[in-house]
Amino acid sequence: MLSAFSPIRDDRRTLVVLFLRGGADGLALVPPVGDDAYHRARPRIAVAARDAIRLDDRFGLNPRMAPLESLYREGQLAVVPACGSEDDTRSHFAAQDFMEHGGADVGGGWLGRWLRQRGSAGGGALTALAFGTAVPESLRGAPSATALRAFSDLGLGAAAERLTPHLASLYAADVMLADAAHDALDALNRLASLHESSYLPANGAIYGNDDLAVELKRLAQLIKTDLGLEAACLDVHGWDTHFLQATSMEPLMARLASGLSAFATDLGSRLASTSIVVMTEFGRRVVENSSLGTDHGRGSVMFVIGGGVRGGVHGRWPGLDDDALVGPGDVRVEQNFRDVLAAVLARHGNFRADLVFPGYRVQPIPV
Amino acid sequence: MMMPRREFLVAGGASLFAAACRPAHMLGIDSEVAPSFCFGSPTEREIDLASHLLNRCTFGARPGDRESLQSLGSTAWIETQLNPQRLEDTEAERMLRRFPTLQEPAGELYEYKPRVLLRELVCGTILRAASSRRQLLEVMVEFWSDHFNIDIGKGDCAWLKVADDRDVIRAHALGRFLDLLRASASSPAMLWYLDGRVNRRSRPEERPNENYARELLELHTLGVHGGYTQRDVMEVARCLTGWTVRPSSGFGKGRVEFHPHEHDDDAKTVLGRHIPAGGGERDLHDVLDLVASLPETSRHIATKLCRRFIADDAPEAAVDAVAETFRMSEGDIRQTLRTLLTRPEFVSARGTKLKRPFHYLVSVLRSTDALTDGRSALSDFLTSMGQAPFQYPTPEGYASGAAAWERTLIWRWKFAAAVAANRVDGTRIDVDQLIRRAGGEGLLMAHVLGRQPNATEQEAWKATGGGASGLALLLASPAFQRC
Repeated sequence: MLSAFSPIRDDRRTLVVLFLRGGADGLALVPPVGDDAYHRARPRIAVAARDAIRLDDRFGLNPRMAPLESLYREGQLAVVPACGSEDDTRSHFAAQDFMEHGGADVGGGWLGRWLRQRGSAGGGALTALAFGTAVPESLRGAPSATALRAFSDLGLGAAAERLTPHLASLYAADVMLADAAHDALDALNRLASLHESSYLPANGAIYGNDDLAVELKRLAQLIKTDLGLEAACLDVHGWDTHFLQATSMEPLMARLASGLSAFATDLGSRLASTSIVVMTEFGRRVVENSSLGTDHGRGSVMFVIGGGVRGGVHGRWPGLDDDALVGPGDVRVEQNFRDVLAAVLARHGNFRADLVFPGYRVQPIPV
Repeated sequence: MMMPRREFLVAGGASLFAAACRPAHMLGIDSEVAPSFCFGSPTEREIDLASHLLNRCTFGARPGDRESLQSLGSTAWIETQLNPQRLEDTEAERMLRRFPTLQEPAGELYEYKPRVLLRELVCGTILRAASSRRQLLEVMVEFWSDHFNIDIGKGDCAWLKVADDRDVIRAHALGRFLDLLRASASSPAMLWYLDGRVNRRSRPEERPNENYARELLELHTLGVHGGYTQRDVMEVARCLTGWTVRPSSGFGKGRVEFHPHEHDDDAKTVLGRHIPAGGGERDLHDVLDLVASLPETSRHIATKLCRRFIADDAPEAAVDAVAETFRMSEGDIRQTLRTLLTRPEFVSARGTKLKRPFHYLVSVLRSTDALTDGRSALSDFLTSMGQAPFQYPTPEGYASGAAAWERTLIWRWKFAAAVAANRVDGTRIDVDQLIRRAGGEGLLMAHVLGRQPNATEQEAWKATGGGASGLALLLASPAFQRC
């Protein structure tokens, strides 16, 4: 019975999905500083080549993302520019919906379908978590999905001590439910041992005090507790930068990068069984607008960290010359988000692309 | 933090009290003064027939339910439940008035935001299950909602499922199977969900969309081993070409139409039956009449009903008898249930099934006479337990058997602990009053369990100190997970 919680079998991997809400500017996160067209289009807000952290001959990492540099150098960070979906509404709602459902007019969320398709491979008490107050669309249809505000949301609360010993005795005699009850009680015990205040991150990892850092720290704690967590979703808001982009985006990037870096460090060897995906609904217009911001566009960037990732910059780059742009002047989507996800999900085992992304012909990008 | 009961009601809470049990001063609506004790708690050590019927044909026994069942006798009680229109249901109807979207015609639903519709539909579903006196109707609504599953997250189902719930599922849940099937086949939500709306053949080289045709045979009628072939699926798809739904942009949104120029009007052969050329929209009815009448369909529906009402592993003899009634009565659902509910296999299979999360959660509300507004805190728990209503992604609907749900215990316990301690937003239980009304702790335990508590349960109750902790333990206990 304890086997359900034994650590790190192949189906014991955790997928972490960070969704940057609002349409994050891929050209600011990973500026193509080697393209002249980039500097021409953004005379006032472009990242100068000398400031960027060099990824390859074309791309750099925004200097605010410096905490991710070492992961990149170690081959633990994959960067997929010109990435996005087919949805060209440039509407936050429609584009997020499209991505979270994993297509147009598809029922349920892609994570929900994936978890259900995997079946009871895990069968742990805690399959999927969303940090925040609501379960995101991507988890719709999951066998179990819970919004987590604090660890206390998971346990039995004040009643735990009074209830659990009696639950154990009542369920021990129940033929149908004894095993499941044993596992559930075991999970509750592990949860009861979780204390946020006394948690010491491993390997010298230092988390900030912002929401994302706090959530990532909790998540690292949960992953290490071996509760059978298969998927976790985190939202990072504030990427809709129409106005004074640098002012709002620089602190966001800094928190994103330092949070992820601390999380990866803290996980240590567990990073090998944890995949982290960072995605957003769309990128932004190539040309800066009159208020030093950018408007809704198409292609952005996706990041994949850990879990056996192949580091580096992946995919085709359409370029930023006028004839390469789409619509009102946006980065063409060369890499479909599903093809990135498919490569990641395949590493988590027991993945059927036709069930998770129905109606889409998956061609995994080897991230 | 707890509001006085009266204020809570004024604030929008809804009482689940059995009308006869409600002291008049509390609501100021009913003039009848209730008797002091009306739980009619069971006295047997094993689940008796009354408790068994309440377990399987309702979403749990409210205080007083056993008493009314016993005073009617089980046969008459089943008959009343099979004829829900004869049961006045003002309490549930009053609560449902808070959700105007549930009464909107399909086209008007587009005026609302999808999340408002989902909230009201889920809330309405929970409140009906918790408070309606027409319990067997609600149980069958849940059954058919899975049988004709639609995920509200797919395309325009976000708007149209509300109409499907009302005009297809609820309208025919205890009617004739063929009427239900016809309503479902031309439900705009179903045409969206299974792509019937894009099943067309305007040119000979155009290939029909087989999605609905396949599920019609595999899930809705014959069953996966129902003797049809891939060729039959393709022929059914051809018969159904041309049916579509007006798009959400423009006039007449959500309206179902037949487009003759998109219909394949050549002859077809479905399951050996010749369907002549030139049938047009009649092809749909020919196909439905045919598949609904086949013995494989009787057997498939009977098996699913026996799984729901008798055992996960449906007993053969019961399936045979139920299928026979279904076939002889031409799919009369009430007649079919009458046979099922009087079968010895049904009568003897007591306390052996695992309640699914929705059943479990609602049975907590009912057995504790909770005051609830039915709002999102409850649907959040259902999501944690893996049974968010109308959000199952694939067409087979939520699983019926225990195996799919055993892993949800932790969330059931959590709900039990939270609700008994009044830590679920919008839901309140008055434990002390419950104990008083039941006539003591032992009688409350018997009411909740549907039988006298055994020695382990009594000891556990005592050890927790009784009261809210005792109730939490009872609601979390294995016996209460079963039905």
